[in-house]
Amino acid sequence: MTEVLLLGRRAVREVVRYPEATIPTLFIPLFFLAVNIGQVSKTFPSTTPFLHGQGYVAFQMPVSLMFAVATATTGLALVTEIDGGYFDKLLVAPIRRTSLIVGRLGADLVRGIAASTVVLLAGLAFGAHIQSGPAGAVVIVLLASLFGVAYAGFGILVALTTRNVQATNTSFLLFFPLLFLTPNFVPFDRLSPVMETLARINPVSYVIVGLRSLIIDGWVIDKILVCLGVTLAMGVVLIGLSLRAIRNYDR
Amino acid sequence: MNENGQGTPAIQARRLSRTFKGGIEAVRSVDLDVSEGEVFGFLGPNGAGKSTMVRMLCTLLPPTDGTAKVAGHDIVDEGDEVRRSIGVALQEIGLDPVQTGRELLELQCGLYGITGSAGRERAAELLELVGLTDAAERRTKTYSGGMKRRLDLASALVHQPRVLFLDEPTTGLDPASRLTVWEEVRSINASGTTIFLTTQYLEEADELCERLAIIDAGEIVAQGTPEALKAEIGKDVVSVELHGADAERTQQVIGELPGLDRVIAEQDALALLVENGAASIAEIVRRLDAADVEVGAISVSRPSLDDVFLEATGRRLEGAGTDHPDEAEREDEAAARAVAP
Repeated sequence: MTEVLLLGRRAVREVVRYPEATIPTLFIPLFFLAVNIGQVSKTFPSTTPFLHGQGYVAFQMPVSLMFAVATATTGLALVTEIDGGYFDKLLVAPIRRTSLIVGRLGADLVRGIAASTVVLLAGLAFGAHIQSGPAGAVVIVLLASLFGVAYAGFGILVALTTRNVQATNTSFLLFFPLLFLTPNFVPFDRLSPVMETLARINPVSYVIVGLRSLIIDGWVIDKILVCLGVTLAMGVVLIGLSLRAIRNYDR
Repeated sequence: MNENGQGTPAIQARRLSRTFKGGIEAVRSVDLDVSEGEVFGFLGPNGAGKSTMVRMLCTLLPPTDGTAKVAGHDIVDEGDEVRRSIGVALQEIGLDPVQTGRELLELQCGLYGITGSAGRERAAELLELVGLTDAAERRTKTYSGGMKRRLDLASALVHQPRVLFLDEPTTGLDPASRLTVWEEVRSINASGTTIFLTTQYLEEADELCERLAIIDAGEIVAQGTPEALKAEIGKDVVSVELHGADAERTQQVIGELPGLDRVIAEQDALALLVENGAASIAEIVRRLDAADVEVGAISVSRPSLDDVFLEATGRRLEGAGTDHPDEAEREDEAAARAVAP
């Protein structure tokens, strides 16, 4: 446990000392939020039934939250460490190899909390209202951050298997179809049949729906539980695969 | 006692081999015994298999054949015990650029179970040992090459390892930094730590190592103390620089020189292993004059480790490997770090 804390503290230090690695990952979600609101808010005024009296910004916030927390930052930090040789130094220490991953995921949680808080505050500044109240806002931040931790497993997996900076960097592009084949602009029932089918089999849809329910509807427990369940399942699969990858690294 | 009669082996390898994807045999059936407390050198050109050997012994890379024990523990079945017993400074300096020198050493201490004030004290002690106390609060990315190497060395020592692996610890360093590292190696060894040191520098092997193995193309071609290896040649080395003269014709002219053991053709030179070098020079000059063959300088020397390498492989260590040493080194490293077969 000590080794996880030590490695986690180091990873957090990395986040704090390299803001240039985190700040750009906030630009896209904030840009996306501002542009979408500017372009679509007249099409979907607050009288639109699925907005429940709120502005379109409330509907878009979960998409920006996803963008903010799902990054390739951890995978990139890891592959850079592999490239620079420090990873080998850590591998020859008498510690569990999985600690190297778990420590980094701790930093992802911190980064996710910070990033989703910024997006949430931006959403509030644009006029959104959190229907579930301050406690709901905390749950939104935690769920989004948890999703960021789960998704980091994918970047780590790519980093460990390819050991290539470019491959790890471009692996982030896979998140675009995952994010856009969802009810990101309109609810499920407003999508074309094909898009609705694709969105319904995409697990990210249920994370967005869960977060959105906390903003627009209040406490809809079944949606929140599905959101949490999908996030945990993604985490088990992606982090599980990355833990297996580090156990088998060069073995 | 090992076969050299020098105590319990700190490292013992038997038929240790590593073949990479595509059939590249980086290390071929290596047998090795390193005694407790000695400085053992692993000398070879770029791409010879030195780094692969170190990575196997440090448990970073599994062998594809053979066995090895480090500090009495099997490198495959008892990896954790091996890692607790060793310190490693790899050829590629492994430092985290985000941390300061002190933070890096304190983290390293923590990973070896030395936490709290004990970790802070040990880190301070090591910073003092490698002369980096003044730079302790600076991030390592601001360090010079020599400072990075010394910090890397310090980080390998946090837990006072029984066996220390140093993979080309002075490559890329300026002469002054190289001497500093040599002094540190001697001082670490004086405290009882066994040192396994790879190098491509003859002088370094001669200066630091009690015994050494010479590796070429993944195979050990000679092994023993530097003095014994040189004595095994048992001859003087007469070097004849050709300066454009035809090597075959020159060799024919010199012919059956009295006391001549062997002639090795090098690039633009001939190396003659003879019983009495000084006496042979006059005869060589006489024969070349008579045949009107013009050559460059002719010199005689006692055998060096380079001559040992020359006799074992047919070429000089300096410039051996590939035409592009840097590239070869990168290839060696890349192969060593490549995915398992």
